[in-house]
Amino acid sequence: MARARTSDSLAWVGIALVLVVTLAPFLWLVMMAFKPAEDIAAWPPRLFFTPTLEHFATLLRSDFMRSFGNSLVTSTVATVAAMVLGVPAAYVLARMERRAARRLGFLILLSRMVPPIAFAVPFFLAYRYTGLLDTLAGLALVYLTFSLSLVVWMMRPFFAAVPPALEEAASIDGAGPWYAFLRVVLPLALPGVAATAILCFLYAWNDFFFALVLTRTEARTAPVAVVGFLNYEGWEWGKIAAGGTLVMAPVLIFSIAVRRFLVHGLTAGAVKG
Amino acid sequence: MTVLVSTRRRLLAAAALLPLASPALGQARRFQGVRLNVATYQHQFNTYLARYIPEFEEQTGMRVNFNVSGFPVYNQQADLELSTRGSAYDVVNVTFIYAARWINAGWLQDLDTFAKDSRYTPAEWEPGDFIGGAQAPLQDRNGKTFGFAWEGGAMMMGVSRPDLLQRRGLRIPETFDAFMEACAAVHGQDGVAAFAVDRLHHWHWPPFLMGFGGNVFRQVPDNLTPTLATPEAIRAADYYAKLLKDYGPRGGLSYTEDQARQALVNGQAVFNIHSHTWQLPMFAEGSRVKDTARIAFMPRGPAGDFPGANCQGIGIPIGARNKEAGWEFIKWMLSKELLSRIVKEHGHPSVCRASVIASEAYRERFTINGQDIGAMYRAVLDKPAGSNYMAYRTVPVFPQVGDKINRAIERIASGQANAATAMQQAQAEAIGDLRRAGVAVDG
Repeated sequence: MARARTSDSLAWVGIALVLVVTLAPFLWLVMMAFKPAEDIAAWPPRLFFTPTLEHFATLLRSDFMRSFGNSLVTSTVATVAAMVLGVPAAYVLARMERRAARRLGFLILLSRMVPPIAFAVPFFLAYRYTGLLDTLAGLALVYLTFSLSLVVWMMRPFFAAVPPALEEAASIDGAGPWYAFLRVVLPLALPGVAATAILCFLYAWNDFFFALVLTRTEARTAPVAVVGFLNYEGWEWGKIAAGGTLVMAPVLIFSIAVRRFLVHGLTAGAVKG
Repeated sequence: MTVLVSTRRRLLAAAALLPLASPALGQARRFQGVRLNVATYQHQFNTYLARYIPEFEEQTGMRVNFNVSGFPVYNQQADLELSTRGSAYDVVNVTFIYAARWINAGWLQDLDTFAKDSRYTPAEWEPGDFIGGAQAPLQDRNGKTFGFAWEGGAMMMGVSRPDLLQRRGLRIPETFDAFMEACAAVHGQDGVAAFAVDRLHHWHWPPFLMGFGGNVFRQVPDNLTPTLATPEAIRAADYYAKLLKDYGPRGGLSYTEDQARQALVNGQAVFNIHSHTWQLPMFAEGSRVKDTARIAFMPRGPAGDFPGANCQGIGIPIGARNKEAGWEFIKWMLSKELLSRIVKEHGHPSVCRASVIASEAYRERFTINGQDIGAMYRAVLDKPAGSNYMAYRTVPVFPQVGDKINRAIERIASGQANAATAMQQAQAEAIGDLRRAGVAVDG
């Protein structure tokens, strides 16, 4: 009994240590966002200070909020579009004849096999000629192309796990294929949909590389705007920290809100298909 | 009827007089409706400039899309844009560290075609008025100009507490030996450190390297073999690391620019070397040393005096759609009149026109504590003009080599390795990096 208690205590200490190590950078960032400018560079670092919202206020008055809005729009549009196109495609693949599905699935996965940097210059040139450079539509389209394969591959095992007999029963009751898909199969795969949507959103939200290459000022996203605070004449630490905190916030809130689906969805996807 | 005839006569008379109208007016209005895309990075000068752009738009009828990004973001985007010979920008910042790459690759327009042609540029604009040292990195081997400097950086030595030197009977040091002696004398007095710089060692160290007779590369731009393990380089690294290790503040090895500047302004560190614009805050309101601080030339080494100098230029991409309009903007932006106004109205110190620096308004503004900072600034900025000793910094492979310099200095200053070992390691790593990048190196 005593040994079990000691073991439990050690486990808790271990967990606490890991948490401290992994969360310390985030805590440091958030603290810096609330520190007065004169305390940011203080040595030794001040753990106790009078919090201020001055950095957030500066961001609110600057172009940063526009970039933040651009991030929200492109990530949301790309995620919704990827789900709308990818989920039915995954369902069809799950129900297709096995060999054909595997071949098609492999082709879809090809786009994820090439490092994104390989696409940068072709995308840049194509966008320049088509006028999509520095547009929200152009950026959302890029995110869509990369997210689509992720959606198809993540959702396929979820649909494969739903017995076809359910659709057959719906069909006997007069339901067409779309109705059966939307009303019978999709609700059963909702945890997977949630997990996949979060991953798509995270991919688009956190992207720096394509946003850097394909935008200038109009469609600039929040991650690029934060780097913009690394100025020639010095780094604006307060703004960097406040910007970083704001960039983290939606993902954190969203993830906490759907964490039940996320855990269930990710683990289910991991052991099937 | 009479009215009609009279109006017609007036119109005819006016038409006859049109060719005699001011050429300037005709010149300016021919850009009516042009949308000019200017790309640069965030800098105080550009913040000031943006305030005057409506005047330019009013004069010319152009609309200026003034894109300002963070320094790293701008460089990435401009590099991609120029390398694909894009037409998105009509005017770009010619970043110092990319200047050689962009110019030698043919990605920028030869500006002499405009600056030396009276159809585009009146004689009083005077391209020769730009300081030679600042212009050197913006020219190719044949002397053609691909940019005009709007910002100059001249490395000097900030001395926040000259009183501590006086107390020890010392003067502001002028040689490496005297500098080390001065650091030893003042370090720890009144609880202050002698020497504080940030971690940008690949900017601070090369003047010491050259002062001891070394260089970063064998022969820029023809032979880019790094020369980091020569006896001169090892000696310079040892010297510089000693300054950091023995005479720096606690935690000084991890200082950022802000921290180093703050240490100087608060009088917590006596010496700092950097571009003079970084040291001017010593004289600003709120500085504890504003009435006594001094700015001095970098100390010179046994092989000579090689203070760092850099510039940022403005140019036109080779693929730009509106080159003539772009030149009109550059001409206006760097005119003596506008630069003088920016100096006078905002106190901007780092302009690159000799006549503006020599002007009464500039001298009045930047004669501080009895020192003519402008004259010092100009002298340093002009130094590389003949030998272009700063060329090492503008070659495309410098960032890789600079990174090795930074790490080597940190290894020495933190006691992880002695100077010879650290510099030999830096040399081996730099050569390895350059070989992998396909750069021809000796041996």
